[in-house]
Amino acid sequence: MKIKALLYKDFLLLIRDRAGLAIMFLMPLALVMIMAYLQDSAFNTINESRVPLLLLNADRDSLGNAVEQNIVATNIFDVHTKIGNDSLTEATLERAVARGDYQIGVVIPQNTTKNIRRGVQMSILNAFNYTQEPITFDTLSIIVYIDPTTKTSFRATLTSAMREYATAIQSDFVNREIIATVNRIVAFPIGDIRINNNPVRILEQYAQLDESRIIPNSVQHNVPAWGMFAIFFIVISLSGNIIKEREDGSFTRLLTMPCPYWQYVLGKMITYLCVCLLQLTLMFIMGIYVLPLLGLPALALGHSWLALVLMSLSASLAAIGYGIIIGKISVSNQQAAIFGAISVVILAAVGGVWIPTFVMPQTMQTVSKLSPLNWGLSGFYDIFVRDGNWMSVLPESAALLLFFIVCTSVAVIYDKRKRDN
Amino acid sequence: MKMDIIEIKNLYKVYSGNAQPAVNNLSLTIEKGEIFGLLGPNGAGKTTIINILCGLRRFNSGELHICNYSVRDEIEKIKPLIGVVPQDIALYPSLTACENLKIFGGIYGLKKRDLNERMDELLNLFGLEKSKNRYLSKYSGGMKRRVNLIAGLLHRPQLLFLDEPTVGIDVQSRHVILDNLKEINKAGTTIVYTSHHLGEAERFCTAIALIDDGQIICQGEPKQLIAQNNVETLEELFLQKTDKKPRD
Repeated sequence: MKIKALLYKDFLLLIRDRAGLAIMFLMPLALVMIMAYLQDSAFNTINESRVPLLLLNADRDSLGNAVEQNIVATNIFDVHTKIGNDSLTEATLERAVARGDYQIGVVIPQNTTKNIRRGVQMSILNAFNYTQEPITFDTLSIIVYIDPTTKTSFRATLTSAMREYATAIQSDFVNREIIATVNRIVAFPIGDIRINNNPVRILEQYAQLDESRIIPNSVQHNVPAWGMFAIFFIVISLSGNIIKEREDGSFTRLLTMPCPYWQYVLGKMITYLCVCLLQLTLMFIMGIYVLPLLGLPALALGHSWLALVLMSLSASLAAIGYGIIIGKISVSNQQAAIFGAISVVILAAVGGVWIPTFVMPQTMQTVSKLSPLNWGLSGFYDIFVRDGNWMSVLPESAALLLFFIVCTSVAVIYDKRKRDN
Repeated sequence: MKMDIIEIKNLYKVYSGNAQPAVNNLSLTIEKGEIFGLLGPNGAGKTTIINILCGLRRFNSGELHICNYSVRDEIEKIKPLIGVVPQDIALYPSLTACENLKIFGGIYGLKKRDLNERMDELLNLFGLEKSKNRYLSKYSGGMKRRVNLIAGLLHRPQLLFLDEPTVGIDVQSRHVILDNLKEINKAGTTIVYTSHHLGEAERFCTAIALIDDGQIICQGEPKQLIAQNNVETLEELFLQKTDKKPRD
């Protein structure tokens, strides 16, 4: 009966705090939707939006024309060969890219084809003459200008793509030149060397344990990441609730009543555990049913319900423990709200919610292991991306439960000592 | 036969970091059925004594008993027997009066039917029946004080602690509160009361103790004390015993 009254109290306090409810439910749902959509869009930018490219083909010969045709044919780039009616020079091209009018500028210098052709011919003649001297000929570079505001990762993707096309075109061109040169020398002409597929292909495939059928994507990464962020954001509501009770004196009244302290804490824990589980459930539902409506892949929950329940419970309890300690230690609601929000944002950033930990510097990777959000995230990734079972999430789950026990114990001891003085 | 409901022997309490004790070897007995006033200037130790008796604060030494239970060792047995009305409005402003009372009644272990009957009885008594479903944040100061009082009375306590129950309210609300408290006292509830309204204490209390610097300066029935000390009012007696210098 007493615990029922305490639960009734905490439930009413929760539903009357509309701002708190919005922070706990609407903000994370909006974050998941926006972040998953943005990340997916950024991923698709290269394929769908087409990057504006300015091309100066000063070669105007086989290689230059082949490069131009191939760049146009890729559909990755929106290729322009002039600016307005003015003829294009390397200087005007560079200025246009520097201004940000084009994201990438490619200059194929004059005589590129001629230079390569000469080199190939000399190589073949040398081969027929059994000359061991290596052939040296002038190197002409295809220059790629990149908009200075372009992010490093995107720049790397663009240059890598450009390099790949250039190499393919070059080898194709060299093949053809070899055949042409040989045919001029030998009595019986040979035909084209036709290779339908690249003899060496690079097949990209996600490493999987067992018979996993989960395909990693932005949804599989974003839903657990923002789910962890959301459940830790309950610290603002929970600590605020604790401080309000202390400030308005109702906590003091409760202490004079036949209500053991542990029941008071348990009432809050149960209420906020329900909140956290509801938050996660809503996030999962959104991942499964709403995100596909935006053209995103549907969330796959993995194949171990036990692991999912274990991780959801332990992550929720860790967030509750953190909320309780902030509520007990902070002297005012404002302090708790500011400290709570900032600390969760820092723990999330360090823990890999925004940026994956593997791209962080080594020191930050070590620091990230101290964040409970990292433990939670790692556990959820085990389920959602690696298709792990309850055994695989046991270390993360244990760490989160230990964090909950330490936080709650410290909060209770601190509160008791403060009141005893 | 008169029975002591509270027995305090050599109570000593010093807050950590303070040289001066808040309560200094104070001994006091309060009889069952009394309306006992703990009076004194700011910082005299009144609230500390009440907090110790309610189990909110620890004490350094002394023997304290309420209804023959030791405050040090058996506070959980004492809690169902006492009602506490703190000086602050110790209620949830975002809830209605009815919701507040249901919560506190539930924590006292009252069954639903009994709780509803008791709530109706007390809300009627204190004139709040019609506004019971309004949020507490919309109540006037006097109405909040009355709900604050009802929350301490729901479980029919044997002993009621009132820490300045009429502070900051109008004359009408004060009369409603004091008249009803007298009725509740007649029905068997002992009241321990603190206030800075000495005129009110003189009319309301059956016995008082004047406290200063954590010690009792004088104790007895208000009228008797006034006569013994050749003063006209309790306020005069208060000033005579505690001097006129303002306290921190």
